[in-house]
Amino acid sequence: MRIILGLTILLVLGAAFVHIASDVPFGKPAVTDMDDYFIANGQEQTGANNIVTGVLFDYRGLDTLIEATVLFTAVLGVSVMFRKLKEGEQYEND
Amino acid sequence: MRMTKVVRTVADLLYPFCMIFGLYVVAHGHLTPGGGFQGGAVIATATALLIAAHRYDDVSARVKSARMKVFESVGLLGFLILGFSAIILGQPAFRNWMLSRGSLFNDSVAFGVNPGALTTGGLMPLMNLAVGLEVLGALTIITLYMLSGTKEDPS
Amino acid sequence: MMLVLFHLLILAGLIITAASVVYFRDLLAAAISLAAFSLLLALEFYLLQAPDVAIAEAGIGAGLTTAIYIIAIRGTKRKEDPDE
Repeated sequence: MRIILGLTILLVLGAAFVHIASDVPFGKPAVTDMDDYFIANGQEQTGANNIVTGVLFDYRGLDTLIEATVLFTAVLGVSVMFRKLKEGEQYEND
Repeated sequence: MRMTKVVRTVADLLYPFCMIFGLYVVAHGHLTPGGGFQGGAVIATATALLIAAHRYDDVSARVKSARMKVFESVGLLGFLILGFSAIILGQPAFRNWMLSRGSLFNDSVAFGVNPGALTTGGLMPLMNLAVGLEVLGALTIITLYMLSGTKEDPS
Repeated sequence: MMLVLFHLLILAGLIITAASVVYFRDLLAAAISLAAFSLLLALEFYLLQAPDVAIAEAGIGAGLTTAIYIIAIRGTKRKEDPDE
């Protein structure tokens, strides 16, 4: 019974995935305005040969800043969880 | 459970090479694929290799958690200062003002496919360094805390 | 033609390693399979001309995640309980 159920879920999900994937053509649209602009002007405007870094740190610098802040906040949460306990203090669930 | 001597020796041997490769990826972030985030992740992986091979007491003497916290904070603070330093000069935030001023990383770049030079990019190499420091500190702290939570056999 | 063959090999390897993660009872072997999965995924990213993503995937997926799993296995048991 469990095998039949699992196979049914697998088939339904696979059919949905194939349907969606066949609907969107791969690599289209082939010509967009944005990447042409970056390739034409990116090296001159940012001064970097690696255009990916140019977009990350120059055109979209604020996004990178907030991404770094997200990582910092995650580590802050982990640090609070693993902090050194004070004298006589215990975890609540012990 | 303690790793065998083979694992510990190979980890000690591989550690400097991983470190150098990560620093290379960070320093050449504006020329070759990679950048601050990827290079910092590679350096943190080297440290994680060391942490996975040794016991907590041996590692925590070499990789100090307090130092990693300083790295992380200095990286994020440096990125903030570099990003908003353009405002002081009367330009929009995250403008690459070092390109036009005659200072450190201001060589012009030829158009098209070329190997490039390290002295280009304006603020970008410094930002890569800051983000690399931040990611290195953050990922190492997570791995170190993970190890400190596991119980070690007294053997 | 050669490139299509490479793609097919890597995609088949991805499916095989992903299935073996679930199949193995030895948790260390499962963690190593996950590392192999991430490495093949990084290779696929490189073939699709995204070297930046490939470096990040190889560093975090194949290196850091495997190290964290191995540390967790060191702190607990290595074998999966067969009764559950």
